[in-house]
Amino acid sequence: MELTRNITLGVYLPGETAIHRLDPRTKIIAATMLITLLLFIKSYEAYGFFLIFTAGIIVFAGIPLSYALCGLKPMLPVLLLMWIFQFFLYSTPDANILFSWWIFTATDAGLHMGNIITLRVLFLFTVTTILTLTTSIVNLTDGLESLLKPLRKIGLPSQELVMTMIIALRFVLILAEELDKIIKAQMARGVAFDRGSFIQKTRKLFPVFLPLFINAFKRAEELIVAMEARSYSGGKGRTKMKTLHMGRVDLGAGLIMLLFTILMIYIIISAAPQI
Amino acid sequence: MPIEVTDLCFSYKKGTPFEKEVLQGVTLHIEDGEFVGLIGPTQAGKTTLAQHFNALFIPQQGRVIVNNCDTADKNADLIRLRHDVGYVFQNPDYQLFAATVGEDIAFGPKNQGLKSPEIIKRVSRAMSQVGLDYTSFNDRDIFALSGGQKRRVAIAGVLACRPKILVLDDITAGLDPRGREEILKVIRKLHSEEKITIIFISNSMDEVAELAERIIVVDRGRIVKDDNTRQVFRKTADLKAIGLEMPEIMIIAERLSSCGYNMPDAVLNLEEALQKIAENLQEGQVKKHWN
Repeated sequence: MELTRNITLGVYLPGETAIHRLDPRTKIIAATMLITLLLFIKSYEAYGFFLIFTAGIIVFAGIPLSYALCGLKPMLPVLLLMWIFQFFLYSTPDANILFSWWIFTATDAGLHMGNIITLRVLFLFTVTTILTLTTSIVNLTDGLESLLKPLRKIGLPSQELVMTMIIALRFVLILAEELDKIIKAQMARGVAFDRGSFIQKTRKLFPVFLPLFINAFKRAEELIVAMEARSYSGGKGRTKMKTLHMGRVDLGAGLIMLLFTILMIYIIISAAPQI
Repeated sequence: MPIEVTDLCFSYKKGTPFEKEVLQGVTLHIEDGEFVGLIGPTQAGKTTLAQHFNALFIPQQGRVIVNNCDTADKNADLIRLRHDVGYVFQNPDYQLFAATVGEDIAFGPKNQGLKSPEIIKRVSRAMSQVGLDYTSFNDRDIFALSGGQKRRVAIAGVLACRPKILVLDDITAGLDPRGREEILKVIRKLHSEEKITIIFISNSMDEVAELAERIIVVDRGRIVKDDNTRQVFRKTADLKAIGLEMPEIMIIAERLSSCGYNMPDAVLNLEEALQKIAENLQEGQVKKHWN
């Protein structure tokens, strides 16, 4: 049993490709642009182009496609649930009814909305995964910090905020590893997590989540002490060992992003009247 | 309940860019009632190997047969197997979850579907096996216990399932000397009185030399040595080559040898060393050295 095998979020896959070499700020801005575009995409053609573009990045960055996709596996049940909700509960006045059952009515508009929302979450996850897979934690921190720096002027504690985000990201994997050990420790005492009714199965989670939470709090406390022991006092007066520089690769990547964005905006606008 | 491992291979994160070969063709056989020390440098694959014994890992290649039950068999009763092969993890915090000591120890027997009088019987028995007094500890708050006590509760929680084989995964790490001594006493008793097969994973050569009858040395996913304890420690150069330390008592014996004492190659525990030193002194062999 290996729980951490399918976790790709927050994992860095070292490499030497141009995508890896990009300035983290370029990558963060590009990812933000892609995510913003995703929020407006409502047609399948646009998703088609989006798929080609992201798949291109994945291949270009040398990430094995199967690995990039395996992170989605644990999310599938949630996605399915979301799709079902949209399918049965979303409707517009002029939608065609596909079928009715009990209090639920399924319409073609609901089907379309379910598909769109599911695809949106899938792509959201993929874009973020590509970002973390190709950017080391240190670079990610530096990039985010540098981008959020202007907001310091209006009182946003950018450094602290970024630190919190990065720690959260780091903990995804740490907690997953811990969860793996706890599940094994309880399995060793004969718990069959896959047997019994729904209520019985839920009750079996108690011996897993209690130690997980207690250990997480303990870990957090230790982390605070360790940070304070090294005189961490927030972002004020901190300097960087490595400073970030944008280069030619970043210019190229920026141009490609710009072209893609224009293309997407064109598709979005031309397909707008659909819903 | 013998354990039979044949040509076992296992890779961590198989099929991802992070794939790492952990076990590369391990073959071993452990008989009933043995006390086996499983040693090796960190990341050698000790834990991964041991977690194959109770089917927490299923072989990717090769076979693991415990008590005639092939763990890779789809129809195998793995829940039962896990009750027969107890596994105590290094960190008791991963295992303990209930509010009281008694409740936590009862978790295993409850999973076995036992009735409450039998559960109480098993809990009190398991507690006495690890040297915890039932009346004073049964209702104690688990999170107020000391490190050594927590570990004993963790062992009791596994013993309450009545295992015939017990895997102890580095359970003395990070304990103070007294807590460590208490745990070792418990283990010794379990083996000598209850005749439980013990597989003892440890980074402490002192403990392994003192307790184990047979030692399996694992390095980079392979078994590099599998012999009785004295034989293994006789070849000190081999162990040093893979980054393992000598038991302290052996280092002392070696020094004494170089000072003219007549010491055997592998001294495994304090009693043995003391006896040899006494013999040396009586025979007057070292006299000239001191003069």
